[in-house]
Amino acid sequence: MMWSAIKAFMIKELKLTFRSKANIFWIIAWPAIWLLMTAYVFVPPATGQPMTLKVGVVNYDVGSTSPFNGTTFIHILNESEYRGAKLFQVKIYDNETMMLEDIMKGRLDGGFAIPTGFGKDVIFGQAKLKVYVGARSPQSAQITESILRGFIQGLNNGISIRKVNETMKYITIYSEKYMPKNITIPMAGNRSWMEFMKDWMMGLVSPINASFQDVKPKALVERASILGWYTFGAIGMSLLYSGLIIGSTMAVREKEAGTLKRILASPATSTDMLIGKTLSGLITLGIMSAVIIILGVYPCGAKIIWSPSNQAHWLAILLLILVSIMVIGIGMILSLIARTVESASNLSVVLGLMFAFIAGIWFPKWWMPAWMRVLADVFPATWAIDGVRSALIYGVGAAELTPTILKVLVATIISYLIGIFAYKKTLRRYVMA
Amino acid sequence: MKADICLVVKDVSKRFGDRVAVDGVSFTVHKGEIYGLLGPNGAGKTTLLNMIAGIIEPDSGEISVDGLNALDPRVRGRVGYCPQETIVYDNLTGLENMMFYAGLHGLSGNHVKRRCRELLDRMGLSEYADKRVKTYSGGMKKRLSFAISLIADPELLLLDEPTVGMDPRIRRSVWESILRLKEEGRTIILATHYMEEADELSDRVAIMDSGKIVAEDSPENLKNCYGPKAVIDVEFAETIKDPKVIIEKIKPYASGGGVIYKDDTLRIHVDNPDIISPKVISEIVGEGMKLKTLKITMPTLEDVFLRLTGRRLAEE
Repeated sequence: MMWSAIKAFMIKELKLTFRSKANIFWIIAWPAIWLLMTAYVFVPPATGQPMTLKVGVVNYDVGSTSPFNGTTFIHILNESEYRGAKLFQVKIYDNETMMLEDIMKGRLDGGFAIPTGFGKDVIFGQAKLKVYVGARSPQSAQITESILRGFIQGLNNGISIRKVNETMKYITIYSEKYMPKNITIPMAGNRSWMEFMKDWMMGLVSPINASFQDVKPKALVERASILGWYTFGAIGMSLLYSGLIIGSTMAVREKEAGTLKRILASPATSTDMLIGKTLSGLITLGIMSAVIIILGVYPCGAKIIWSPSNQAHWLAILLLILVSIMVIGIGMILSLIARTVESASNLSVVLGLMFAFIAGIWFPKWWMPAWMRVLADVFPATWAIDGVRSALIYGVGAAELTPTILKVLVATIISYLIGIFAYKKTLRRYVMA
Repeated sequence: MKADICLVVKDVSKRFGDRVAVDGVSFTVHKGEIYGLLGPNGAGKTTLLNMIAGIIEPDSGEISVDGLNALDPRVRGRVGYCPQETIVYDNLTGLENMMFYAGLHGLSGNHVKRRCRELLDRMGLSEYADKRVKTYSGGMKKRLSFAISLIADPELLLLDEPTVGMDPRIRRSVWESILRLKEEGRTIILATHYMEEADELSDRVAIMDSGKIVAEDSPENLKNCYGPKAVIDVEFAETIKDPKVIIEKIKPYASGGGVIYKDDTLRIHVDNPDIISPKVISEIVGEGMKLKTLKITMPTLEDVFLRLTGRRLAEE
């Protein structure tokens, strides 16, 4: 092995790579486009923030003197908040026809039609209320309906509790006058008759008083973490097709340039060429990954954890190096069937993108049908990228990452060794041609 | 091995599947000599050079360079190979290409850069050293390839079709470069299908056909031994519709039956041109054909090839 030859190959490859506009497109522009589209189209800046629904209201209960009426309902709509964000943006309409037209044109998420006597009926009976749910998309209709139902249920509960409290005031006054003092009720236990009555009525209003507590991991719901997930998806995708191109064109590029025989006639060996080109490929993929991370963090706002003192974070870098070598090895295997630079590049891009999309690298694997998830489970590049994500987004420790590294290491050694065999065979074929 | 022998090729054969590329070839090249391998495309010249360069292994026979087997890694440093294809990268500058190949020979550093610039200067490329090769002409790329083959200061240079596709002016300048390299004491194996090139440059020429050497000697001796005494070139004023008729008429006058018609010209091998020329004119006029020019010239290596193989080099 000759270091000066390895260095010569490395420098030559890096210069040729970064002087080609097509390469710059695939290495920098393509992942950047995907990442920016993801950050500003598919995971827009409002992602992870509480939603504010645009709702219309037609209030026919305008002349009511009741302490609770249509105007009170609109006031509650305007003041309702969830995690510091207004739940509704209210627009008042004169009639339902105009409001419905706006809902149907997608200008509103939903609407309420408050009938005459609404407030009086709320206090003294059961009020009617028309709720319209818009459908800008199947998902948004589901979310809108859930929010509107939740709001009405919450309002119902609040009103019911106030009504129970008001009712209890009257029951207390009249029971002291008319009820016998020594009355006992089965199942009341130690409670007094009055306490039992109140609990009974509260049970009618809300039989289950559930309490909800937010315990979802932030990494799964925060936009910054979602973008971190996609940033490594972009790295995985780019590593796949770029690595495959580097591996599959390693020998054929020299053959097409007419330089192969001259190289083989020099004191440098085919192993020097292999090592030089692999190292330049790793540097290229490293630069590409760094650029994607910078793009992910700065213009897109991805959150990636990094601490030089954290062992797991260095292991994540090791995983990226291993997956790069593995993919270059797979690319070298492709050179057995792709005999021109054009066919090798096309095959690499198609296979790279296909695997990125179906093997859980760009799209989360839980989005996919069960049969496709099997592919993601057995594809070593997916193990590696998931390992990197678990360390640099979810904060998994070194111990938890070690089994993944061992699996990826074995896969890398196997694919690179088969790749070397394919590379040597390809060279022999070209020399004999 | 004698001290002045640079290359020995002994009974070398190479097959690619069913095709025999090189068939029992033997020759010896002395130091400081230009040895031409003349033959049409497919004669086995490139395969032979690839085996001398150690790129491919012969199926049988032996090749030694300065007493070392051609497959010995030490030989690679002593041989400068300039294949038929241009061996340069379009997106690197001339100097970067040179430095790349220097690296493959284990050379690096500022003194190597200086040497690369010197070589570029010798090839008339110093102005273009820092320009990308994609801006070079075909001739410039070929000269750069030459410069590259000299990086490691080789004792033996293998030049495969060095002037193919070049215009006559550039071809002449490349020939001058090759002769300068000979003056420096280098041994050169020149594979070509241009007979003028082999004739002009080579000390000795091996004529190859179908993987075999059919004759080997100095160009003069080859012409004396295998060529006719003279050649009559008859150029017609118009294209002959059926040249077979006139060929059959002329054949009895030709030495060894050597008559060929190509590009409106009839080439006739003769032993006594003074007597034959008037007869040739008479036959042509008798057939109602119009003569444009008639020249009596000395035979070339092409005529030798024609005599030995029955075919023209240029036909291949």
